[in-house]
Amino acid sequence: MKESTSFTRFIMNKLTRNLPATVVIALSLVLMVVLGAVGGMSQVLNTFVTGGMWALLAVGLALVFGVMNVPHFAHGESFMIGAYVAYWVFNPIYQTLGEHPNAFLEVVAPFIGFLAAAVVGFVVGVLLERIIFAPLRRRTKSGWVMNAFLLTVGVSFVLTNGFTLAIGPNFRGIPRYWNIDTLTILGANVSADRIVAFFLAMITIFALWLFLRQTRTGRAIRAVSQDETGAELVGINLDFVYVLTFGLATATAALAGASLLFMFQAYPTVGGKPLYFAWYVVMLAGLGNVAGAILGGFIVALLQTATQQFFGPSWEDVIPVAVMILVLIAVPSGIFGSEVKGVQEQ
Amino acid sequence: MTENATNEKKNGAGVWGRLTSALGAVGMTPLGVGLLILLAILPLVPPFSQEHMIRWLIMGAFLAAQAIAFDFTAGYINVVNFGFAAILGLGAYTSGILTNTNPSLAIQPGLSPWIGMLAGALVAGIVGFGLGVLTLRLRGIFAAVMAWFVGIGLMGLTRNMVDLTRGPLGMAPRKLFLGTTSNLPYFYVIFGMMVLIYVVLRLVTKSHYGLAFKAIGQNLDAARASGINPTKYRVLNFTLSCVFAGLLGGFYAHYFGSLTPQTLMHTSKTVEVLALAYIGGRGSMWGGMLVAFPFVFGIEYLRSSLTDLPGLHMVLYGVLMIVVMIFYPNGLSGFYYWLKEKIQSKSA
Amino acid sequence: MLKIERLDASYGFLQILWGISLHVEEGEFVGLIGPNGAGKTTTLRSIAGLLPPKDGQILFKGQSIGGTPAYKVSRMGVSYVSEALNLFVDMSVRENLLLGAYSVRDKKRQLETLEFVYSLFPRLKERENQLAGTMSGGERKMLAIARGMMSNPQLMLVDEPSLGLAPHLVTDVFQSLQKLQQTGVTILLVEQRVNATLAITNRAYVLEHGRVAMEGPSSELMKNEHIKAAYLGV
Repeated sequence: MKESTSFTRFIMNKLTRNLPATVVIALSLVLMVVLGAVGGMSQVLNTFVTGGMWALLAVGLALVFGVMNVPHFAHGESFMIGAYVAYWVFNPIYQTLGEHPNAFLEVVAPFIGFLAAAVVGFVVGVLLERIIFAPLRRRTKSGWVMNAFLLTVGVSFVLTNGFTLAIGPNFRGIPRYWNIDTLTILGANVSADRIVAFFLAMITIFALWLFLRQTRTGRAIRAVSQDETGAELVGINLDFVYVLTFGLATATAALAGASLLFMFQAYPTVGGKPLYFAWYVVMLAGLGNVAGAILGGFIVALLQTATQQFFGPSWEDVIPVAVMILVLIAVPSGIFGSEVKGVQEQ
Repeated sequence: MTENATNEKKNGAGVWGRLTSALGAVGMTPLGVGLLILLAILPLVPPFSQEHMIRWLIMGAFLAAQAIAFDFTAGYINVVNFGFAAILGLGAYTSGILTNTNPSLAIQPGLSPWIGMLAGALVAGIVGFGLGVLTLRLRGIFAAVMAWFVGIGLMGLTRNMVDLTRGPLGMAPRKLFLGTTSNLPYFYVIFGMMVLIYVVLRLVTKSHYGLAFKAIGQNLDAARASGINPTKYRVLNFTLSCVFAGLLGGFYAHYFGSLTPQTLMHTSKTVEVLALAYIGGRGSMWGGMLVAFPFVFGIEYLRSSLTDLPGLHMVLYGVLMIVVMIFYPNGLSGFYYWLKEKIQSKSA
Repeated sequence: MLKIERLDASYGFLQILWGISLHVEEGEFVGLIGPNGAGKTTTLRSIAGLLPPKDGQILFKGQSIGGTPAYKVSRMGVSYVSEALNLFVDMSVRENLLLGAYSVRDKKRQLETLEFVYSLFPRLKERENQLAGTMSGGERKMLAIARGMMSNPQLMLVDEPSLGLAPHLVTDVFQSLQKLQQTGVTILLVEQRVNATLAITNRAYVLEHGRVAMEGPSSELMKNEHIKAAYLGV
């Protein structure tokens, strides 16, 4: 008797816990179909391209929060740095190509830009961890989440204003990465740039996932996110894991900025919008939930594309956030829930 | 500072003692009052009586008052209201629209700016109340992010309601004082607002509400366990802070006579106030107020002497905030109390 | 192998340990007993590097390890099975064990140790793919001990393994510790179950109010009047 009641309670718990996720996913599918019917295939493809990018950014945020307990507010600036690096690397090559055409280099040049962005992003991440978080960690761990959050706010402020100061507020952009005719997929025209951006996001996420699941170091990162003391006791150097995690998160965001240069361009405050969309995603999915962030990325992108379709582009700052607030009122810890260490901290 | 220490020693005796305790009841010290009086006569004394200097003083008082209202939430209940600038902007736009006489907007109610400012405070207060209710179940960082989202939404809404706000183009509300080009009357208005906000919020934090706020800010669960109803106090705190943000927004509208969503409601504006409050010292309210004036003079000086370096002051500002947060989290007020204790223990 | 000299330790202003001295020789099984709050866990945490000592020395194989970060102490061959277990609850049993061997770079040796640990705790082998967080209390203890063994430590510090366990499981855990000692691992065991501890250890220290109140071979301590009165309830 007792067994059966606890069993039913267990099932009910599972159901109610998954209910918000079930509802949101079902509604998203309906919205996707409506969007496809009204806006056509191109809007659906748009959703996927944008969704891939939000997912990539959100995975970085979720990772940093899960492992280091840092609610990262300067993630958009990593995106910005990536965009600049890609521009500075790609543009000279592109100029040279104008004078000395080279078919191979034409195909490869953007990837050189992406790689450079990721590498610089990683270095910047490592430096930030050492300069900002390590001293704070040494001083005190009390009130860590809030202090770390405010520090990243400061970093964001310094980086955006620092870039304005150093190179001015003007936009640096490129018309396109690959000079190839648009492809037609299911009746919709998509540029090669978008397709590459989408697959780059997916491949990066997949590689990150493999790394976290299958390698010794990746396992160590997950261990730290679950129990820091336990990780120390088995011989994991926490500082190494923090540095690596922050470097990786920054590198992925920089990669996103680089691969979307053709869409966003590079300017000091370019990271603002990616930042808050990535934050919608992690709040929707549940802070620190890396797997949820991937699905969440597509849901938020869908919301965004649907808003553009049905209300016009200027509303994309209003309607997605309104929906997000409603969702969070219903499920404050996000639809996939999250039991990350430190969330309960004041 | 040493002067103050000797003041402290005299505290017990006679008229001075009574004066000190009377000031203490409204959250003031003789030193604080002295500084305020100094500030009040400053715009009458050269070189501060130059119009551009008065402008800086106004900016200083405007930021100081914001820092007080912001710290009332961040420093006491430990919730960073990341939508602060947006709420302030809401007050500004409300007042701007209600006082509008310009046919370029959809409506021309043409109310007096004074009434407009009060209405702005009221509307901001209502939204603050809603924000308080919305974030009550959320802890620290979640509440901050939620407030941020609300701020983004408000800014987006302002940008989109073109009929009322002219959107990104911005609107030009009527000036508060029409007959004069002098900045002086504006200074006394914002100075009065600053003192009012400080005294009111100080009175609140000196009462048992202040204790409850601090208890909630330090440990929500413990506060709840000891019988404090966090709901009531958090909502009250948010509402009060937002009322004053709205009021200040109204002042902004009718002083600068120009409103755009980007320059008023953007998150970076909240960060500016946040940095002031933190450099001044969390939970002191006067720290941010004190820092605001040298800060404005410093950046304005930098800006006027280094015109080719836009954003330098912001960078310095941000770096200072980071350094304070990492190495000296108690800020200026913490330093002051530390110093006071040192001096007292030495003279004792 | 382990030598502690005049160790003082504190949490903030609250001093817990007052000049503790003890030593553990290679291959020994030493118990550390005493009432709640006597500083037993604090002693282990200091050795493991989780709490930098305030004063005094901790020597492991002649090397000072006081204040060395926990991960380095672990890599030197000291394994600490904490009271809280500190398992990785969202990972499988196998992953937890492999993480235990984090500092062992040799893949082959990792797998050999894994097989050995499985032979010691067959239950864990059965549950290989189960998430650590979903296991029963007794199984978690075993997993924690097993994880502690995965790094082939020379010294194991085991903190209150019997805490919260049903009596028959306590026997299981104690037996596995004995098996462990037989494989040549030195063990320092912290326990509140004085009787059972004195029965399986070679020597023991009695900690009271942050000081060593008594020490000696376990068989002698078992006969001691003070111990009988205070802990054995005889």
